[in-house]
Order: sequence, then C-alpha cells, then structure tokens
Amino acid sequence: MDKKVKIKICVGTSCFVQGGSDLLLYNDFIDPEIIEKCDIEGISCFNACKGHENGSAPFVMINDKIYGDMTPEKLNKIVIEVYHARNK
Amino acid sequence: MKDIFIDIDYSQIYKFGQKIGGDVFLQKRNPERNQIVAVLSDGLGSGVKANVLASLTANMAKKLSFSPMDLKHSANIIMDTLPVCKERKISYSTFSIADIRYNALNSNIRVNFLEYDNPHALFFRDSTNIDWEGDVTILDREKAFKKEEIVHNVFNLRVGDRIIIISDGVTQAGLGASRSLGWRLNGVKQYISDILKDSPSISSRALTKQIVNKALSLDGLASKDDITCCCIYIRKPRRTLIVTGPPFLKESDDLLCQKIKDFKGKKIISGGTTALIVSKHLNKKIKVDLSTWSKDVPPSSTMDGMDLVTEGMLTLSKVVYTLEKKIPLVELANDAVKKYIELILDSDQVHFLVGTKINEAHQDPSIPVEIGIRRTLIERLRKTLEENYLKETSIEYI
Repeated sequence: MDKKVKIKICVGTSCFVQGGSDLLLYNDFIDPEIIEKCDIEGISCFNACKGHENGSAPFVMINDKIYGDMTPEKLNKIVIEVYHARNK
Repeated sequence: MKDIFIDIDYSQIYKFGQKIGGDVFLQKRNPERNQIVAVLSDGLGSGVKANVLASLTANMAKKLSFSPMDLKHSANIIMDTLPVCKERKISYSTFSIADIRYNALNSNIRVNFLEYDNPHALFFRDSTNIDWEGDVTILDREKAFKKEEIVHNVFNLRVGDRIIIISDGVTQAGLGASRSLGWRLNGVKQYISDILKDSPSISSRALTKQIVNKALSLDGLASKDDITCCCIYIRKPRRTLIVTGPPFLKESDDLLCQKIKDFKGKKIISGGTTALIVSKHLNKKIKVDLSTWSKDVPPSSTMDGMDLVTEGMLTLSKVVYTLEKKIPLVELANDAVKKYIELILDSDQVHFLVGTKINEAHQDPSIPVEIGIRRTLIERLRKTLEENYLKETSIEYI
C-alpha cells in the first residue's frame, strides 16, 4: 500500500502574509492524483519563524522535515519527489 | 462585571424602493450617569423628508432626555421645533422615548416611557403579554392642528422583561392585501407571544429581526411603509472571553490556562502561539479547518472546549476593521472573521485576556503588510464594541 505523504502548512501570521496563503490553494497546483496520496493539514504555528536555520517564512512540514521559503512550485516539486522516493 | 444586562436592539426595513427611511431609531448609553435613552421616531411621509423630520425628533428627544428637563416639556419643545410640510401644511412626527435608569449593579431598572402617536408599545414579562395604560397628558400647544395626547408610564423592570416598540409599518403590514385591516397590534402581540413561548431567551436582535421579516412577508415582500421594531430586554449577560498573545513571562502560562478554564461563557483564542500554549497545557489538540479562509484571513481552527481558535493579528485587524466600518455580516466571506464577529455580537460582555509578550517573528522587516501592535488593536476593538455595539468590555493584561 502507498504510504501517504504528511504535509503540514503553517497558517500562522508570519507565514500567511509571506506567501502561505498561496500554498493553501494546493488544489490548483498539485496533481489531484498526488493530492489523494497526501494528508494535508494546516497548523497554527510550529515556531520555525523564530530562528533562521530552515530559511524564512512561509514554512511547510513534509513528513516531519521543515522546509522554508516555500512557493507553490517548490511545494509541488518536493511533494512529487518525496512521494516517488517513498514508493519506489 | 454586572450581573444584569440591558439588551437593546432594533431591526428596520425601508419602504419598498426607498434608500432612506422615515423611521429613525437612536440609542445612547451614558454609563457615568447610569442612564440609557432609546428613541423611535416616525416622520411624516417617507424618504428624505421623513428622515429629516424623524432624525430631528429622535435627536432632540435623545438630547432632551439627558437634560434635567421633564419629559412633557421636552415633548412640547420637539413639536414646536419641527418644520412644516410644504404640501400638508402641518408639522408632524411621532415618537416613543424610553429613558432607562439603573443603579450601579443594574438592579432596580426604571424606565420612564413616553409615547406620542406610535403604536402602543408592548410589555412582556417572560413570555406573557401584560397590558398597560399610562397617564395621558394633553399638550394644548398653540400651533396644534389636532388633539395631541402624550402617554406616559413608568416601568420597573426585572430579568425577563421586554418592552417592544414598533412603528406603524408593523401594525399596518398587509393592509388591504393579506390582512384587510393590517396585522394590527393584537396580531403582533400574538406573534411575539408565540415566539417567546418557543424561545424565551431570544435576543433583542433576533426577535426584532423576526418581527420585521414577518411584517415584510405580510406586505408581500414589498413593504408599504418603513417597518421598524426595537426591543429593550433585561437579561442575564452572555459573556465571551478573548485570549490573545502569550503571557510576558513563561511562568504565567499556567495562570493563563487556569483563567481560560475557569471562565464561564464563550471562549475565543486569537493567536497561533497562544493556541499552542493552551493546547500544550490543557492537553487538547488543535485542528486547523482548511475550508474556511480567505485571501487576507488565515483559516480558523477548532479545539475541544473552545468556541473558536484563530490566527492572531491578521484576523484581529480584519475583525476590528469590519466592526468599525459596520460591514453587515451577510457581506462577509465565510471565514474566521465572520465566525469571530458572530460570537462577539451575540454576547453582551467581552473580557479580553491580553498577553504582553512581543512576537519575535513579527519584527522581521521583510513582512510585507503592517501588523498592528496587539494592544492598539485591542483598544480599537474595545472602543468600537462599546461605542458602536454597546457591549460592555473589560481587559486584563498578563
């Protein structure tokens, strides 16, 4: 069975104003077939914005790893990569 | 905070095709003198001219009620001042004035009630209608073109009492159409009794809305006159707690959570970090609801025991903006702001628990929009709630 990709999009203030709101439109830029294989949820804040080790906002957590400076294109790319890596 | 709340609200529908009404309702609270004045006036005719007459009457009535002058004298002044209609050669507008006084704890509520030519106000104790007759005074003005009778009464109100003031647009609804003589006062009375039997604690806002909507439907959805209804309702206050911002000291987190737990009423948490603290201490999971968000408002979340959990500054800014501009609820997108405002408007007393820690992430100069300072925002929210929506508010910093 396919392992689902766990995606958590930060919807805290700092992330939301710096591009996080665009990420919530994931239905528009991620392939629906891939979306079906993901668990996508919002998270109020995972305090990634307080340090800079993961880049800057907006942040997304994919399978427990935090990615910064997220854009729709980047998110789409990473999700596809992670999905294929898991289901090789 | 006080244990009794005086809930005053009104609903209004203008005459079909009019953009402005000839019925005017005004209310003003004067907490320093423990006084509230509510006035409903109906000007002669409809549209702009009627609105001018009614506004003038209502404003004078409001001002004069706050002066030490007796109400009869006030009524005389109002009627002497009204301009004369060019077509009808008379000056005329009706009014009902409720001058409400209470003592510091809101018990002993005394209403000095005066009405001139409006439909007789209705008095309900719980869901029972009680007929009342006031003292009738005849004005004997020189310029009078008809017999001018002013009805005066004093009501001593207790919890569960309502005074409902309506304009003739309500009693005459359906005139000549669905009801040959209109809805009439008895019909309105019966309708309100039925509503109150079903929902005894209905708010003034919801009750008046139902009444005007019923009148509108009797008029075949095209109102023949301005339809206005207002209600003064004495009840136990509904309370809401708004928690925003993490405490200044980390050690106070426990205290914050204890305060939230102990609060009796609706609870809103405004802020991601604050929600995380509460979630951790009370061991409750936050679930973000990705179906409710809009371009400038992040999604709201749910947490067991809380009525609403939202992001902080963006949501608050939008809530404040919407309330200050008095944007109607129906025009709002289905997002956190709408839920927020619905909760606040449904309560009488709003208590703010404000954490004073500064959010480091918001100090980043690359953030493209202005994120207000929490305290300033909360002060603006309090101001608009008190002044525009007549809510009682209190604040506590932590």
